[in-house]
Amino acid sequence: MTDIKQVCCGRPAVDKRLLHYYWERLSKNRMSIAGLGFIVFLSLVGIFGPIFIPDPQKTDFEIKNMPPIGFSIDESVYDIKTGEFTTTVILGRPDHPLGTDSKGRDMLAMLISGARISLLVGLLATGIAIFLGTFIGVLSAYSGGWVDNALMRFTDIMMTFPFFLLLVMIVFIFGPSLAIIVLVIGLTGWTGAARLIRSETLSIRTRDFITASRALGASDARIMFNHLIPNVSSLVIVMATLSIPGVIMAEAALSFIGLGDPMSTSWGTVLNTGQHSLDTAWWVAVEPGIALFFTVLSFNFFGDGLRDAFDPKASI
Amino acid sequence: MRSYIIKRIIYSVIIAWGIMTITFILLRLGPTSPVDRYILNIAARGQDVESVRQSIEARYGLDKPIIEQYFIYMGNLLQGKWGWSFSTSQTVYDLIASHWIYSFQLILLATIFAIIFGVGLGMLAAVKQNTRIDYAASVFSFIGISIPGFWLGLMLIMVFAVYLGWFKTYYDTGYSIWSLENLKQLIMPVLALGIGELAGYLRYTRSAMLDNLRKDFVTTARAKGLPEKTVIGKHVLRNAVLPLVTIIMFDLGSIVFGGAYLTEIVFGIPGLGQVSFNAIFADDYAVVIAVTLIGTFLVLFINLATDLIYTYLDPRIRYD
Repeated sequence: MTDIKQVCCGRPAVDKRLLHYYWERLSKNRMSIAGLGFIVFLSLVGIFGPIFIPDPQKTDFEIKNMPPIGFSIDESVYDIKTGEFTTTVILGRPDHPLGTDSKGRDMLAMLISGARISLLVGLLATGIAIFLGTFIGVLSAYSGGWVDNALMRFTDIMMTFPFFLLLVMIVFIFGPSLAIIVLVIGLTGWTGAARLIRSETLSIRTRDFITASRALGASDARIMFNHLIPNVSSLVIVMATLSIPGVIMAEAALSFIGLGDPMSTSWGTVLNTGQHSLDTAWWVAVEPGIALFFTVLSFNFFGDGLRDAFDPKASI
Repeated sequence: MRSYIIKRIIYSVIIAWGIMTITFILLRLGPTSPVDRYILNIAARGQDVESVRQSIEARYGLDKPIIEQYFIYMGNLLQGKWGWSFSTSQTVYDLIASHWIYSFQLILLATIFAIIFGVGLGMLAAVKQNTRIDYAASVFSFIGISIPGFWLGLMLIMVFAVYLGWFKTYYDTGYSIWSLENLKQLIMPVLALGIGELAGYLRYTRSAMLDNLRKDFVTTARAKGLPEKTVIGKHVLRNAVLPLVTIIMFDLGSIVFGGAYLTEIVFGIPGLGQVSFNAIFADDYAVVIAVTLIGTFLVLFINLATDLIYTYLDPRIRYD
């Protein structure tokens, strides 16, 4: 009897061979590995970078609008005494390798701080959304009946809600802070995951091993947490990876329209500053956008690779 | 079929009611009130704030309990009265009537642009699988999916308006909607909004075409001696793009208040996105609810239309 119990109802151990197999499949996709590499690099920058940089919000109007190294701009200054324009060439300086913005803040410091914010918001909000989505999806599919009906109708309402309008509204009402932004994106972004996981669970719950464990007297909670959730986990991992870019973009968009946390520097906030100096300091709008673009691209590549690696039907 | 449609409509109304209620609660329970903007002006002039606040609240019925306000608002809505916009001093109906066209033209043009080029390039990539064209298309689609639309908009403004001077840096409402100048100034917003969708359609069309190219009916069609053009254009493409209808419809719903919203703000287009954005900051709850409801109904209508279009496109699908 104990043997049967161990086989059917024990917590599934992490199978090293299986992990190795997935890694083999994933590593055949070069773009996906490049994406993973960039994500690791960005995480290191986000975790350790802020220790080494000066305060990203420190302004110094003496050195405003300095171009990045290797670039130069002409600055015309109107002399009030002579009534003439004097043009000086401003070169990029090594102490501000990526230049400075219109308030003399160092671009490199702001980008490093932004990496931390983007990853923090991306991971936390996605974590909340995927957790909620998995829980609601599995609960809905497993319970059936009125619970399923009520949860799915609520999901429909949340799905139909103009998403970005809701974000702006809530962040405006409760005040722009990182915690609010993370919570709002997390608490509104679970609907897609819930639906997908519900349909996946519906197909898994009719399989024989669920019937078998029920026959052995396993409780509902046990079946849900030990059997259903582990079996949708690969789907959850892929969904999480592919929804991080959307969250990072949503945070950047919120900060860009002026609803970012004023106490922290994110890429969206820098873009907002850059928007007003497109003609005098192009790099302020270009640099955070490139950082944002490569981050989103990396998560997309990595997520795509993961999906193929987990999909037994995909040929790699 | 008819009972299915009626059921769906009733269901849509319930969802819209839920969304209206959530929006109302969120906006009216927030710490700020629509009266605040009046008060600010009055306080600046040194008048008695409290008495003015009371008279304004009485005039707009804001002094009643929130539940009563909710039922009054809902009652008016059912009679087709959208309410009064505090911040722009006109009825919400007039405000929306004069601004919806700006959003509509942008979304329509961006969607058409994305469909034509997305499906076209996707077809090309599939037919020329594993050639340079295919690789270029695939790189382009990954870039298109990953590039933030509002940043692309900024970059387009910077390069083509600020440095090259081909376009104005702002959207000029002085031109008539139907004029050529208006079409010209929509080029950049349409690009910024459409590239993401385009990339998605490209990827989808390519993989769906490749799937269908391997199927037996294609071999049969070729064996019959049909020219390759007919095989691709009639047999493969038609089967491949069918599910694209869902994706396009879904995107339409999501860009109405996602991408289009930001694009309008970046380019200063006075569409519904811009209107609702300003209304949120001015606590103009009647406008916010109205725009939210319009978006909601649009999405619900699009969903219903998608399902119905399917019965026409694919006769195997029936709703009973």
